[in-house]
Amino acid sequence: MDSRKMRRLLHGRRAVSAVISNVILMGAVIAVSFVVLVWARNQSSAYNNQYGNAVSADISSLQERLTFEYVFHNRTGVYVYLMNSGTVNNVTVKTVYIENATWTVIPTKSNLKHFNGTNIADQDLDTTEQGYFVLSSLTLKAGTSYSVLIITGRGSSFENTFVA
Amino acid sequence: MKTLLWLRKSVEKLVGSSKGFSSVVGTVFMVLVVMLLSTGVFLWTLSQNTLYNQAVMQKNQTELDRLNEKVTASNVNYTVAGNLVSVQVALQNQGPLSAQIVSLWVIDATLNKYNFSSPLNINMKPGNTTTLTGANAIKVKIIGALWSDQLSSWFVTARGNVVPPQSVGGLTVAQVSAGIGSVSMDFSSFFYYNVSITAPWALSPWLNGGNGYNINSKGGDVAFKVRLTNFDYPQKRDITLSSHSIFWALFPSGGTQQRGAPWFIVNVNNSGIIANTFKNVTLPYGAPTDIFFASANDMSAGFTGGQKFPSMGGVIPGAALVTIALIGQIGTPPGTPPYGQNLPFAAIYVNS
Repeated sequence: MDSRKMRRLLHGRRAVSAVISNVILMGAVIAVSFVVLVWARNQSSAYNNQYGNAVSADISSLQERLTFEYVFHNRTGVYVYLMNSGTVNNVTVKTVYIENATWTVIPTKSNLKHFNGTNIADQDLDTTEQGYFVLSSLTLKAGTSYSVLIITGRGSSFENTFVA
Repeated sequence: MKTLLWLRKSVEKLVGSSKGFSSVVGTVFMVLVVMLLSTGVFLWTLSQNTLYNQAVMQKNQTELDRLNEKVTASNVNYTVAGNLVSVQVALQNQGPLSAQIVSLWVIDATLNKYNFSSPLNINMKPGNTTTLTGANAIKVKIIGALWSDQLSSWFVTARGNVVPPQSVGGLTVAQVSAGIGSVSMDFSSFFYYNVSITAPWALSPWLNGGNGYNINSKGGDVAFKVRLTNFDYPQKRDITLSSHSIFWALFPSGGTQQRGAPWFIVNVNNSGIIANTFKNVTLPYGAPTDIFFASANDMSAGFTGGQKFPSMGGVIPGAALVTIALIGQIGTPPGTPPYGQNLPFAAIYVNS
């Protein structure tokens, strides 16, 4: 009985088009699904990468720490002596501000130099590395307290005060 | 019964019908895709957040370590010789963590100049004390610095802490002979010279001389040079040495009588020539000063003829005790009380 049904099914021409159309549709759906899967994975990978980079940058920024060893002012400018006391290398000095209670200026900054006066080749401070720079084009009032604010390449800020 | 039949028919229709089958398959795929992606993103975000939290904890720990670091600098003394400011200090690590001293900054507020010594690389375990005195004192060059200038200093540690001096100390026992006075002798700068036979009385070999602890006079006359530093604290007064100051060597002899030989203080110029007259010698506070002893007699009236220099000929070659008696005044006029100090802790050996 069953084999007759099977033979009838296999050799019957009724509803062949329905089967074929179903197969085609399913195939199309599966193919499109795979395309969507691949695209979605790419998108999520891109998102994961961006998120990972942002977190990594935040972590590096957290690990930065600059110590102001000495800040000295004379006629030639303001000498800022620093040490990288953090746990991450390649701390760069992006911007420096000099400010008091009423104003803020961005003075001209020299290259970062070693304490012996030679230029630091990579212009950044690795862990425990010391360096200094000179801020010029400043007119400061002797005996007045000012702040020097350093913004690093990773976005951390460090501030110290000095008396001109 | 009717409901059951109806349900059965609906299921048969559903299963039997091929309509919408692809939609079902597609939906199932979509659900799987969404679940897969969202799970991946969620887990990745979790791991990144964990990393960030760890970094925050490490940062907090670093800050805590920095706050717990406790290094003290006490008994700070400044001496100035030439353009070198010598900083003597006792460093103690009173915290629970090891500490590394990276640099020393010295400011001369009188001249508005500064300089530093870096890297120092002084490593201290918890509880350790490091005494930087004598040859271990840290020297910083400040051109034009004088002993009378207003000096200040601080250390910087590797964690970024600044260690200012807690107390500017006066005398330290290690610097002064048994702490018995304000003047200290530098035992590494004790020399002797041969004196020329005729005037002008020249010292040789000039400038370095020979080691003062081991003398080869070859029967001739000798003179001695000692380096003294005035540590009068807290007044920081000058000490002026008069012609009565004496370098006295006591030689034990084979007989019952011991022999003593005195060398009175003299002035010597930059070429190593002994002056015929004497002007008082000043020991400024904190400045190592070379003092010469050569004359057999008190030079208050200069060389007065006769024996000018102590004779070494009658002395049996051998060891001798040396004591230096410093006589003079302390302070600047008006009001300069007399001053006297004995530096007994030296010995010499005469070969010939």
